[in-house]
Amino acid sequence: MSVSASNVTKQFGGFTALNGVSLEAQEGEFLALLGPSGSGKTTLLRILAGLEFPDSGTISIGGEDMSNRAARDRQVGFVFQQYALFRHMSVADNIGFGLTVRPGKTRPARTEIKRRVAELLELVQLPHLGDRYPAQLSGGQRQRVALARALAVEPRILLLDEPFGALDAKVRKDLRRWLREVHDRTGLTSIFVTHDQDEALDLADRVVVMDHGSIEQIDTPEMLWERPATAFVCDFLGGANRVAARAIAGSTDGGDTIDVGGVRLPNRAPAMAAGSATAFIRPHEFEIAAPGSAGIPVTLRRMLRTGAHAALETATASGTIIEATIPAPPEGLVAGDALVLVPTAVRAYPEA
Amino acid sequence: MKPATATAEPRWLRWVLTAAALGFLAINLALPLAAVFIEGFRKGIAAYAAAIAEPDAISALKLTLIVAAIAVPLNIIIGLSASWAIAKFDFRFKPFLVTLIDLPFSVSPVVAGLIYVLLFGMQGWLGPWLQANDIQILFAVPGLVLATIFVTFPFVARELIPLMQEQGRDEEEAALSLGASGLSTFWHVTLPNIRWGLLYGVLLCNARAMGEFGAVSVVSGHIRGKTNTLPLHIEILYNEYNFAAAFAVASLLAGLALVTLLLKSLLEWRYAGQLAGRGH
Repeated sequence: MSVSASNVTKQFGGFTALNGVSLEAQEGEFLALLGPSGSGKTTLLRILAGLEFPDSGTISIGGEDMSNRAARDRQVGFVFQQYALFRHMSVADNIGFGLTVRPGKTRPARTEIKRRVAELLELVQLPHLGDRYPAQLSGGQRQRVALARALAVEPRILLLDEPFGALDAKVRKDLRRWLREVHDRTGLTSIFVTHDQDEALDLADRVVVMDHGSIEQIDTPEMLWERPATAFVCDFLGGANRVAARAIAGSTDGGDTIDVGGVRLPNRAPAMAAGSATAFIRPHEFEIAAPGSAGIPVTLRRMLRTGAHAALETATASGTIIEATIPAPPEGLVAGDALVLVPTAVRAYPEA
Repeated sequence: MKPATATAEPRWLRWVLTAAALGFLAINLALPLAAVFIEGFRKGIAAYAAAIAEPDAISALKLTLIVAAIAVPLNIIIGLSASWAIAKFDFRFKPFLVTLIDLPFSVSPVVAGLIYVLLFGMQGWLGPWLQANDIQILFAVPGLVLATIFVTFPFVARELIPLMQEQGRDEEEAALSLGASGLSTFWHVTLPNIRWGLLYGVLLCNARAMGEFGAVSVVSGHIRGKTNTLPLHIEILYNEYNFAAAFAVASLLAGLALVTLLLKSLLEWRYAGQLAGRGH
């Protein structure tokens, strides 16, 4: 089922949580809402679920306007960050809850509910835990039960709020892969919220990057990584060094050219007007050259060899730290040495 | 000797603390309780039975049970709604409402009783109208119930508000997103989660409702055999130097309190497995 939000605005007191947000998820798509805390991603998810109502704007699921429907009428599966399992019910009762509370006519028979619960326990790989209580389960197991409970009502879409937020790193990686499998098997349109860019890039078909209640970019993980639309996105994806640069209009390939310390490169970010710019350069997008060459003159502060590569921590004359990862560092390089970093790729944005 | 765990205190300190707690309980609880029963039986079982079987005492016992039977269920409903509203919703005058709920705890029961006299008494605001319409509130069961409700109002709400706040709204939201109606969410999710707190609040509320003296004393009018509850009856007997009867009836009241406690322990014991299973 496709999902769309158009021009959604939401305020809490004086705080603008969402500022005219629009997005669309295609049938069967796996979408990530990525952003720092306070970016409005969870609010958007809750609005899609009907747990929160927008001040303005519309929500539709499968082409049907849902803006004024209550949560219980939306047929949306919601997995809560802290799982929100019913603590006084067994795992099986938790999973069967959505079927048990259906009104008389539409409620499946007891045996049918039992069969469905067993099937879901199988799907989430916990077939023998139906009699346990939530307090007796590990975090990863609770997460699976929460998912099974949401799937039991045969939702039209699946929404997950920070699905791995409360788990430790190892479990997180396993569950991530598993969740993708479940998604591929059920074919449900799914939207999940995360603040972890690796998770978003690894798992989603498309990623929606949000900041301050607005959408910065909606793109595939590849495009997001290669062509971040704004400085915020580039910065949030992490790892990139910020360097002062200058944009020169009218280069040969139609885009703009960026000048970093005399090195001229095509801008991999959307074209910008000529003028001073902030360039983002990732650590592996540097080569080193001898002092005096064009590039960024720096002093080596520390060098860490990790196998074939070396991670250099350098500082410019003004004290800005720049990190570079070099495949084969020249021999005899020691802390305190002067060198020049030559960028090989650059994404630049107008100075904020 | 090293303590067994990091939080264990030295043996002598444990003994001193335990002895202090037990000693305090013995002097302030066990001893007076024993005294009530011993004094009650001082003139023999026959005198004890006579004091309890006396019509005024029976009528006082009945009245006490009636008042509790009306006041406690009403306070359960009001307490549940108030704590539900406070814990699960955000609204403007929430801190004010919370303060209001605590008011009966901070106001002297006598003042609480006087409020009703001021409202419903002959010289009160509504007195003349009530008399014109032949409605009796003061010096009758309605007045006793109102005063008791006022005094025992916070017990249920105070017990539930922190519990519900700690549990948050997540489970309710989950139930709603799974298609449950508001009512079945309350019935299947909220209520089971708070049942022990609720039970505890109800027992406390009931104990206080049966034992309340001050507020009830003001609105009762002390009409023997008509508007005297057990505590008021005890006071009258005591003031008449009828100590054996006073203590006999007092032992009845204390007995009711003990039954309440026993009931609570029994329920806790019966459902201990479930409590452990829940993990909380």
